[in-house]
Amino acid sequence: MSDILIVVQRFGDEVVGGSEGHARVVASRLARTHRVEIATTTAADYWTWAPYYPSGTSELDGLKVHRFPAEGRDPEFKAFESKVLNGEHALADEDEWLRRQGPHCPQLLDFLKDDGARYDAILFYTYIYEPTALGVAIVPERAALISTAHDEAPLRLAPYRALFQLPRAFGFLTPEERDLVHRTFRNEHIPHETLGLGLDPPGAYDVAAFRAAHQLEGPIVLYLGQVSEGKGCDDLLAAWIAYRSRPKARSATLVLAGTVRMELPDRRDVVALGRIPDAQKYATLAAADALVLPSRFESLGIVLLEAWQVGTPVVVRADNPVTAGQVGRSGGGLTYGDANEFGDALDRAIAARDVLGAAGRAWVERESSWDAFDARLAQLVALTAA
Amino acid sequence: MTDPTLMVVVQRYGDIGGGGAEVLARAVVQRLRPHFNIEVATTTARDYWTWANEFTAGLTAVDGVPVHRFAVERGRSRDFRLHERRAFSQTHTLADERAFVEAQGPVAPDLLEHVNKRGRQVDHVLFFTYIYYPTVLGLPLAPERAVLVPTAHDEPAIRLAIYKPVFCAPRAIVFSTAEERALVHRLFRNERVPNEVVGIGVDVPAERFADRFRQRYAIEGPYFLYVGRIVESKQCGQLFEAFARWQDSRGTRATLVLMGNREMPVPDRPDIRLLGRTSDEDKFDALAGCVALVQPSLLESLSIIALEAWACGRPVICDARSPVVWGMTYRAGAGLAYRTAAEYAEISEMLIGRPQLASRLGAAGQSFVERTYTWPRVIETYLDLFAEVRARNS
Repeated sequence: MSDILIVVQRFGDEVVGGSEGHARVVASRLARTHRVEIATTTAADYWTWAPYYPSGTSELDGLKVHRFPAEGRDPEFKAFESKVLNGEHALADEDEWLRRQGPHCPQLLDFLKDDGARYDAILFYTYIYEPTALGVAIVPERAALISTAHDEAPLRLAPYRALFQLPRAFGFLTPEERDLVHRTFRNEHIPHETLGLGLDPPGAYDVAAFRAAHQLEGPIVLYLGQVSEGKGCDDLLAAWIAYRSRPKARSATLVLAGTVRMELPDRRDVVALGRIPDAQKYATLAAADALVLPSRFESLGIVLLEAWQVGTPVVVRADNPVTAGQVGRSGGGLTYGDANEFGDALDRAIAARDVLGAAGRAWVERESSWDAFDARLAQLVALTAA
Repeated sequence: MTDPTLMVVVQRYGDIGGGGAEVLARAVVQRLRPHFNIEVATTTARDYWTWANEFTAGLTAVDGVPVHRFAVERGRSRDFRLHERRAFSQTHTLADERAFVEAQGPVAPDLLEHVNKRGRQVDHVLFFTYIYYPTVLGLPLAPERAVLVPTAHDEPAIRLAIYKPVFCAPRAIVFSTAEERALVHRLFRNERVPNEVVGIGVDVPAERFADRFRQRYAIEGPYFLYVGRIVESKQCGQLFEAFARWQDSRGTRATLVLMGNREMPVPDRPDIRLLGRTSDEDKFDALAGCVALVQPSLLESLSIIALEAWACGRPVICDARSPVVWGMTYRAGAGLAYRTAAEYAEISEMLIGRPQLASRLGAAGQSFVERTYTWPRVIETYLDLFAEVRARNS
């Protein structure tokens, strides 16, 4: 039994976010065999970092949570960032960028200096924010960095150069993230473990009820997630319209399940459900003939794993290394390069739904079982602990 | 094929007078020159305390090597001691540590900009000394090609958190002694960083004449030699006391010869001879004829004069509390250490009375120096480490 601290920019029931969600899962799994504490900020919102939780030590799911007050994001952050990423700027501006991004949290860093030695291993989440970017350097001898990095301009800024040379070990979400970090920082010598994610089994779900509730008939092509340009939904809609205007096009419906943040065309073959309750997630996924994930950036693509849990094949962009890599490893779907290939991939995925879906399911049951995930996590802790 | 490129970063460079790490940097640069396209990045400071801008900023050359000098924006702060006390206190914050590094100086942001741009175009960047601003803030800008020569010893500053990245992020570390390596590994758990004990090469003239020295300074009988700044911080006061007590209690007649700048009072007595700063010829002549070299300092990170004494075949007497000097002396089997004035007297008597023992210890020192501290061996080790850095980044 070791003492483990997890440092993450936000933590709590009201926090929605990929890396924060991963941190929460890791905390609860590790707490089964170790003493786990959390060091985080008082924020719940990733943009403003406005105080939401009281500062001080509290408990959540039986874990001790240390919250420190933080300075939020500079309202002029976007303008400053564009200067730092694209324009003439001084070296000091890159440190300033990190601070203005928030959460700027000096008390959390002093906590690491004063109390860090109490822990055998300290797991840091998300390379990009200050608690990790400056925190690893305070306790490198016991730090694991779960970087959740993807290929973006800030990854090349000065504050991150030493960061990626310092930890005792890395936890990556996917092999693609590992390759990106190795390529960018030439730090292959640092021990690492590719964690992926563990998932609970889907439980019972009712496809017929779902179809009936939304009056859906015929093949369903599903998009699940926030409906926005940032997630590539504009490209998806254009490709969908091109696909549907092919001669002898298959009759099918594109179902968008998620908060809508963009203009949608008024068409009978595009149905927006808005955000669906968590309880209906697996029914929605199981009802689909194929899931499409058009985003260019993804650090894990949890929705792919969930689709495979219920045997639904996926269609993803070929130029997103993470999702294309997951599909390549699992055999649970197809990739596309342009709008034309999108249509072909969709046709083939729908036709081969059972074969592709079964391959995806077999893979996810093997890779994302709790046993497999716990073993990878134990390995990361072993690589890190003093 | 063109030579690989190397940038050397150090807080002062050129004709600055003294400074162990700076002297080491210059000696290494001169010998690495045939193997690299080499350039130096430094400040305009000459004085290690004030860091006043004494050289002109811009590009110049030293020993035929291009040297970029960058202005010191802030030298040592007037309330440096206050910042030092705060940072070394139990309850200090990270902000106190940062303030300490800046108050210590030399704060040279243009040098950092240069490391950030130029440092990432060269194959390797060699940083000398861990403690000052140029290394603390410069090394993290090019860690994947950084090689550190820390010249560290056990002092409060090295325990500050701000120094952890300096020791954990570089590609390789060049230690001066095995003792320094053990200290750094104990403090930082950074065994993963490739490293070697390298230090410096010791050159001694083939011809050394003890008699020439005795005649020039009229010194008769057995004598012990101290070479270096004559200051309290190097335990010279204790040395004088131990020597005087030994002589005054009917010890075998002997002389203590002091070479170096006097920065504290020296007892006025005929058996302590202050010669001031002398030529290298005098130094090596004196080494050749001494019973032993005395090195009382506790804070050396590498005692070059001890290496020189050994290269001349003479033993070293040192303080048993000095981790580095006594560690090296013990490993080499090349001298003896005292804990008290009484032991100091006993050791001195023994080495005078048994000249064969003294010569045997000195010979052991000579072979120790030949194994590690010769220029061909030093340069070869640097070349190997640099090749490893390039291989990783290719």
